[in-house]
Amino acid sequence: MKYSYIEPRKKTPFTPDIQLIITFFSITLIMLFSTYAFLLFKNHMFVKDRQNYVSSRIDLQNSIDRLDQKIAYIKKQKALSEKVFTQNMVLKDSINNLFDLVPERITLSRAELLENGLILYGITPSKDVYNFMLQAPLRSIFQKTYSSFYPQKNGWLRFVSTNYINEDEGEELNSED
Amino acid sequence: MLSKIFEALYFKVLVNIVVKRASTVVYIETLSKKRSISTIHSEFDTKECNKKMQDFIKDYIKESPYYYISLLDRATVQGAIPTCEKHKRLYYYSDLNDTKYKCYNRKWTYYTSKSELYKIEKIYKEIGLDFIFSPFVLLNEFFQDKIDEGKLALYVLIEETYISLAVFENTQLLYAEHLDIEAASEFDDILLSNDIQEDLELGLEEEGIDLENMDVEDDDDEIELEDFGDIEDLDSLEDIDEFDDSKDVEEELLESEDVLEESNEDRFNEDYQRFSLIQTSVAHYYKDERYESKFLENIYIADGIGVSSDLKKYLEEEMFFNVYIRRVELDAEICELTKRELDL
Repeated sequence: MKYSYIEPRKKTPFTPDIQLIITFFSITLIMLFSTYAFLLFKNHMFVKDRQNYVSSRIDLQNSIDRLDQKIAYIKKQKALSEKVFTQNMVLKDSINNLFDLVPERITLSRAELLENGLILYGITPSKDVYNFMLQAPLRSIFQKTYSSFYPQKNGWLRFVSTNYINEDEGEELNSED
Repeated sequence: MLSKIFEALYFKVLVNIVVKRASTVVYIETLSKKRSISTIHSEFDTKECNKKMQDFIKDYIKESPYYYISLLDRATVQGAIPTCEKHKRLYYYSDLNDTKYKCYNRKWTYYTSKSELYKIEKIYKEIGLDFIFSPFVLLNEFFQDKIDEGKLALYVLIEETYISLAVFENTQLLYAEHLDIEAASEFDDILLSNDIQEDLELGLEEEGIDLENMDVEDDDDEIELEDFGDIEDLDSLEDIDEFDDSKDVEEELLESEDVLEESNEDRFNEDYQRFSLIQTSVAHYYKDERYESKFLENIYIADGIGVSSDLKKYLEEEMFFNVYIRRVELDAEICELTKRELDL
């Protein structure tokens, strides 16, 4: 104030219009930045969720593989059990057939099933009964049949019948299984 | 720092207001940095600040927050005194309580009435005011080149309703007075009407014209002329030669470019009134012992209204002044003062 009687009023560039514009832009910028921050946060959350889903997918895949392995093992077990069951059935049928082969007059005391043969222990009233009624069907099954008799006090004979299947035929039979 | 940057970005709008007798002139200059880019000049039929004028100014000032509204002080009670020292102010002017005063370059003081300042600020409260300038400062700045030369001279600023006159020597103010033409004419009217009334009363009483009273008035005129007795003493040939040597050739050349208007009757009356006021004021300067009276031979007039050639004739013929008249655009000068205030 060099010459004037009064002081000039304080001048500011922030007129009401400018204040309104600044407020408007500030609010707009705040909203933009908050939206940007929200999107960044959501993006981060999505990435994190994605990683979790990927790892859980891998875990699930692994567990599926393990289950597949278990299923395969169980299937093998089932197949094996079925095979054993079938073999047992065959064996049972064989034993039933064997016992069906034994006539009523001959009494078996012991039977031993071998891999390629059968050993029977028992009592027969006579050699003929044994030869005609038991040895004949055994010979139709086994290629080699050996019989030995031991007399008992009451006149009956104790016998041991050893029967073998030829090895080649036995292998053929195994390979058929 | 930040405000400087903002200031550089915006235009500056300088609104300058000059109040005339029955109208107000508004001069608006728009500046970009320190360069003027547009000027607008408009006159309104009001002495106050009416709605039309407010709207006109507001239209321009809303363009920039950096706007400054300046006004030339039109207080009746204002003036200037030839000192800046506080204790000496009372010697020249007694009522300092209701006065706002400022020192000019630590040489002299200009003052105005505080109550009138408040009144002015109240009138312009709708648009506000930033600067109110004294006409003496304007006069000083306008005739800076002449005042700096250091010669003793009388400087006069003529407005429609006011006359501000100041005597400067060696850039120091010796005397100043602010005169209100309307107040003076009202005062004259009152005196005149009183005289007429007295004449009528005397006439009724004595049924005739009292010639003695006429004589008394003549005596008064003689007394007034005696005030310039010193001037009459200088009417020798030597003195006149000396005056001729001291003539301001440069100013005369400048003046010759501005052709003064021929007077009509109204203007003649006004110019005569102005002459009378200047004459009275100069007499006051010579007579008042408080002021350092020195003989004046040059008068520089800043003509803000376009005075007629009669005023110059009166001053030259009646008071033997070398008269130099320079046309002044008051609004543009206020604008210049505003620029100086703002260092633009």
